[in-house]
Amino acid sequence: MIPSPPRKIGVLAVMTVIAVSVTAFFLGFYILPSSRGTTTLWQRMCRAAGVTSGNRQGTAQTALAGFTTVIVPPAAMAKGSAEQIGRGATLALRCTGCHGALGVSGANAPNLAGQYSEVIYKQLLDFKRGARVDAVMGAMVAPLSDQNILDLAHYYAYLPKAEQDHGLSDAPALVRVGDPMRSIAPCASCHGGSDGKVGAPALDGEPKAYLREQLTAFADGTRHNDANAVMRDEARQMTGSEMAQVTDHYASPTQEGTP
Amino acid sequence: MIKGRYLVLAHFWCAFAVFLAALLLGEWQMVMRSPLHAWINIPEYYYRSVTGHGTVMAYVFPMLVAMGFGYAIVELSLKQPLVGVRWAWFAFGLAVAGALMAAAAVASGAATVLYTFYPPLIGSPYFYLGIVMVVVGSWIWVVLMAINLRAWRRSNAGKAVPLAMYANMAGAYLWAWTAVGAAIEILFQILPVALGFKATIDAGLARVLFSWTLHAIVYFWLMPAYIAFYVIVPRAIGGRLYSDVMARLTFALFLVFAMPIGIHHLFADPEVGSGFKYVHSVFTAMVVIPTLLTVFTICASVEIAARLRGGHGIFGWLRALPWKNPAMLGLAFSFLMLGFGGAGGLINMSYQMDSTVHNTQWVTGHFHLIFAGAVVIMYFIIAYDLWPELTGRALGQARLIRLQLWLWFIGSVVMTMPWHLAGLLGMPRRMAYFDYSNPAIAPQAWTVTVAVVGGALMLVSGVLFVVVLARGHRKPNVQLRPYRFSVPVHALINVPKALNGFSVWVSLMIALTLANYGIPILQLVRAKTDVPAVFYFSR
Repeated sequence: MIPSPPRKIGVLAVMTVIAVSVTAFFLGFYILPSSRGTTTLWQRMCRAAGVTSGNRQGTAQTALAGFTTVIVPPAAMAKGSAEQIGRGATLALRCTGCHGALGVSGANAPNLAGQYSEVIYKQLLDFKRGARVDAVMGAMVAPLSDQNILDLAHYYAYLPKAEQDHGLSDAPALVRVGDPMRSIAPCASCHGGSDGKVGAPALDGEPKAYLREQLTAFADGTRHNDANAVMRDEARQMTGSEMAQVTDHYASPTQEGTP
Repeated sequence: MIKGRYLVLAHFWCAFAVFLAALLLGEWQMVMRSPLHAWINIPEYYYRSVTGHGTVMAYVFPMLVAMGFGYAIVELSLKQPLVGVRWAWFAFGLAVAGALMAAAAVASGAATVLYTFYPPLIGSPYFYLGIVMVVVGSWIWVVLMAINLRAWRRSNAGKAVPLAMYANMAGAYLWAWTAVGAAIEILFQILPVALGFKATIDAGLARVLFSWTLHAIVYFWLMPAYIAFYVIVPRAIGGRLYSDVMARLTFALFLVFAMPIGIHHLFADPEVGSGFKYVHSVFTAMVVIPTLLTVFTICASVEIAARLRGGHGIFGWLRALPWKNPAMLGLAFSFLMLGFGGAGGLINMSYQMDSTVHNTQWVTGHFHLIFAGAVVIMYFIIAYDLWPELTGRALGQARLIRLQLWLWFIGSVVMTMPWHLAGLLGMPRRMAYFDYSNPAIAPQAWTVTVAVVGGALMLVSGVLFVVVLARGHRKPNVQLRPYRFSVPVHALINVPKALNGFSVWVSLMIALTLANYGIPILQLVRAKTDVPAVFYFSR
């Protein structure tokens, strides 16, 4: 004959769970925190609970000085209205000297025609806030309002691209699959081809000199407006010949040799 | 035959169809990242496939199996027709429509965010809305289970709830509360961003909320398998259940301990304090109790069957077991895999030991061994056992069924053991490709190749499973004997009140969740640690 189960099994279960909980919390929040550290026991107990000390916000702010603070709003990613594009076209008259009459540069400045609107939005704001430094662009952007910047972004995104995407079939390995052992992600996983991330520009058809200059600037840290240092981390790992390979792939063959 | 057989069949066939498709994706992924194939040029395809595979296998497939099995249990154990048939069909339609919508979003490349969502990565709102529809469908099922149990209690006042229904209801309550974490995450954090109302999201908070769902959902997957252990296997092998009360206690304890443990998935996350990581580790260890109760009770039940068949001696009775019976074979395979998987799990849940395997291929090996191996093999047994009830025809095909189970078992082991090893060697999980020519990882290449072979065996087994069930529809009609679940050795005289209801266990479940998740969630809400969302879209 088997013994019948305890009648008060519910009470027993509740008591057991309470006992286990009290023991676990006592160990996790008193015994373990009291065994180490230079802060007070109370501070260590708070840390064990995940409650952080109050000054984190301040340190985060100082650490961000000189780096990008742009948060792309949904409006910068949406398609621009005809009115916005029209306003942008008027504003863009000041940009034609370098970026070309229809956003295709003859002066090794980046081609902006067909570029993603949020990319242009982010770069212009970075120039304005000083996260990206350029003598010409800094002065050009200074008087622009947020609305101006949004309009310009929508205008350039609206213009037709000068060139088709170059595709991946002839792309160098670094573009297609990266180099995992050196922690280099494939270019195509953010810049298009296999995948895209908001904020990463389309690169196909950009001037070779411009691409090379930016990669070098990321590598030596003179350009530092990439969120979480994502491009600096890639570029630092790349050799000179690898930089030449990927810029050759993305650069426009039609602009080869132009000044 | 079951009156609501078309309802159950619809759930099962949909479940097995998507299962087969996801199985194919899984094997494709393994080939693509193995040395047998050149590096994949477009890793996005790989992750798209991972998202599809995970979404189907984690949400759609087990949910449809649990729902279909639950409806069958209502009729077979309560001996009453299902109340709310229309609602059940509506829930089914909602779940299927949601699954299709999510699948379309994933297939079009608009939501390659993996089934765990991973904010700040944000994909198409259709993906998340699809998942919400699947979950709402399953919540309707939970309510229907409770309504049906109440209807039975009203006409059977004072009687003990049949074990199958008690366990089924425990699974339903478990799921209802489990899904709340991810539901809050999707509805209040992800969807506002995906729909364009917001551009930032608190990724740390999202991970904590998802962990609430992430581990308990594993026990929801496990529930049908455990129900089968207790109420199908002992009867199918001609034995008796060793203890009805132990079975109830097991399911009740799963309710209690499933939830307050999910932070063991976040051991490497800086936004959660070490105290809570420790406490969650302790409660994860408590899952040992219902697990070992089950191992003991089921082994004892199997021994009873063996001795009834004339087995004797300390171990000699093992020979007397009906090894050709699919339920016996499935149970043995399941327990073997559960044993190895459980041992590996002890490492994952240990705050310190986890650091050697965290985010490595070991983890993939662990949950495939437990879920794909130990749990899904019991889903097969459930389908085989219920099929005559659903079709009115003898299933037959015993040899083919045994072959199918053997292939699944061997495939699972051959696939997951090399993964465990690769993880110990440091291979990260979720990689679309490796440079096997690199001398540092070249020695690991064989593990990936072997896993491909294991996966292929599982794919063949999955196809065989569907073939057996499809052929079951065309077998000759038979006169069915009344279906019954296992009966315990000692007739059930009086069940303790707590184990005939759920109030104690559901209260403990909610109280422990609040105690173990309240502060981590509140302090993250208070800290306002939003980051810019990373919008995912294929270019």
